[in-house]
Amino acid sequence: MSTQRILNLARRVIQQLLADRRTLALILLVPLVVLSVAGVLVRMEPTAVQLAVVLEDTGAALPIGGGGTVNLGQRLTDSLSGLGENLQLDVLDAAAAEARLEDGDLDAIITLPGDFSARALQQRELNISITYEGSNPAIARVLDTLLTRAAVQTLASLSLVSSESAPPVHIDATYRYGGAEFDQLDHLAPAFIGLFVFMFVFILTSVAFLRERVAGTLERLQATPIRQIEIIIGYMLGFALFALAQALIILTFTIFGLQVHYVGSLAVVFVVELLLALMAVNLGVFFSTFARNEFQVVQFIPLVVVTQVFLSGALWAIEDMPGWLQPVAWLMPLTHANYALRDVMIKGSDLIAVGPYVLVLIGITVGLVLIAAQTIKRQTLA
Amino acid sequence: MNPMNGRCAVEVQAVHKHFGRVHALRGLSLQIERGTTYGLLGPNGAGKTTLIRVIMGLIAPDSGETHVLGHRMPDKDVMAHTGYMTQRVALYEDLTVYQNVQFFAVMAGLAHDRRAIEEAVALVDLSARMDSRVRELSGGMQRRVSLACALVHRPQVVMLDEPTVGVDPQLRVQFWDHFRRLNQEGVTLIVSSHVMDEAERCDRLGFIRHGVLLAEGSAAELLQRAGTETLEQAFLHYAEQGPAA
Ligand SMILES: Nc1ncnc2c1ncn2[C@@H]1O[C@H](COP(=O)(O)OP(=O)(O)O)[C@@H](O)[C@H]1O
Ligand SMILES: [Mg+2]
Repeated sequence: MSTQRILNLARRVIQQLLADRRTLALILLVPLVVLSVAGVLVRMEPTAVQLAVVLEDTGAALPIGGGGTVNLGQRLTDSLSGLGENLQLDVLDAAAAEARLEDGDLDAIITLPGDFSARALQQRELNISITYEGSNPAIARVLDTLLTRAAVQTLASLSLVSSESAPPVHIDATYRYGGAEFDQLDHLAPAFIGLFVFMFVFILTSVAFLRERVAGTLERLQATPIRQIEIIIGYMLGFALFALAQALIILTFTIFGLQVHYVGSLAVVFVVELLLALMAVNLGVFFSTFARNEFQVVQFIPLVVVTQVFLSGALWAIEDMPGWLQPVAWLMPLTHANYALRDVMIKGSDLIAVGPYVLVLIGITVGLVLIAAQTIKRQTLA
Repeated sequence: MNPMNGRCAVEVQAVHKHFGRVHALRGLSLQIERGTTYGLLGPNGAGKTTLIRVIMGLIAPDSGETHVLGHRMPDKDVMAHTGYMTQRVALYEDLTVYQNVQFFAVMAGLAHDRRAIEEAVALVDLSARMDSRVRELSGGMQRRVSLACALVHRPQVVMLDEPTVGVDPQLRVQFWDHFRRLNQEGVTLIVSSHVMDEAERCDRLGFIRHGVLLAEGSAAELLQRAGTETLEQAFLHYAEQGPAA
């Protein structure tokens, strides 16, 4: 094994990419465009929120002014219905509301129990419990704002609180699915980050290698002392550099531009990205041997990239897949990368915690290196 | 390895090679002495390129074996001492002339030696285009770059697969002068061609057709034995006779 030859090859791969300014620009810009579009779409405000209020409040006597009663639940409901045209509000009983939530016809249920007014007057604050269906995180943000506004109006009408202090409103939210703080983009971003690096490196290597074979430079390379494994390592080295540069730009944009939640360690993200890039190089080498021209090699993108995205657990949970498909999904490098990246970015897992995923990725990489080296040996001469 | 091993620079022993149904090499044997130029002559499809690839260890023969500088091929250590100019141009089009020549120089173990690279480029008369991208060069210029890549590391044995195709006559003369100088330095050259007029510059010629060596010898010997005026006529004569015994 000669470091000099490997570095020489890596340098050439880099020189070639640098010489192709347009490709270089595309590598760096395309992910940002796609991510921006995804960011807008995923975070679109829902057009109408379907809300049910279970109004069981029986009202309570006012402590001051003597004798009067008030139904704060009713008042809150009235304020809410007066708030906006994008809120569709129905007053239902608990059972009916629950049934409709299960059917997916409702986005959220606000339950105002019998002692709602009594407790509010006693504690001098509003405690509102709301149950979100939760699969669309944008709804929670919209409702939260509306509900706070309605609650403030309700309290103000009572003149129980001075307007200077923060309104004593507590919203106790529960989610059937999903969570409060994270939106869909948080869920998808790790998959995207992995996907871009994987996809671009795959496309670049498969085309670069195809050209090398078709142009005859691979034959020429084979006539020098360089070994198959050195060719593979050189290619991996050259492309890894671009993959990491791309990952850095994507990551910066997602975290600072799109404000995606990010709690984990950057180093672990880069380890995963690096492994993805290395695997993509080898898959590119492997698949390029089955193509005779660029048109054919492009056909492998849906096969290698899109199939993996579908199976990676980013769009559909692997647990929901049919039994026979689940092992296939776990064979896909992108699946492990996706889970590892998601754990790191959302849960803040460290390298030890995502170790199993990373080990599998390393294993797959080593396997692919051996396969790719073998394919070069066999398929040199066009 | 010791590049001085062995008496012959190249030895081919009873090599057979099939591509599917095509029997590209049919038990071909030959020996090439050090410091000489051997011309492989034959029409398109005769098996010249296949033979060169087998000698270089790029494709494994079905049977038989080849030795270069006394080592059985393929041998990666020997490949540091061989040069190969492929029939097609086979360069990195996005890179400059300098970058291409440098790439193959370093591969052959020549550490970043700017002098050697500049010399090789000067030899093919492209010093002025050192920093041009290969894509921007004419076909003939590209072939010259290709030759520079094959010679830059001063190999002991050089395979040139139809090196003078598309090269203008004046430069062709320069090439052959340089090949002569290389011979004097002990370098062995194998030059394939399908045009006979270059053949007379080789020390020995091998007529090859349908994967068979029809006849071998110096140009004068081949003409004399065939009793013909030109090598073309001689080739036809040997082709009618069938393979040499
Ligand atoms: N890689 C290959 N696959 C299939 N057939 C081949 C291959 N290389 C050469 N051949 C066949 O072998 C024969 C000899 O080809 P080649 O060595 O290229 O001839 P030459 O270089 O003398 O023109 C031809 O019939 C050619 O079609
Ligand atoms: Mg040929």
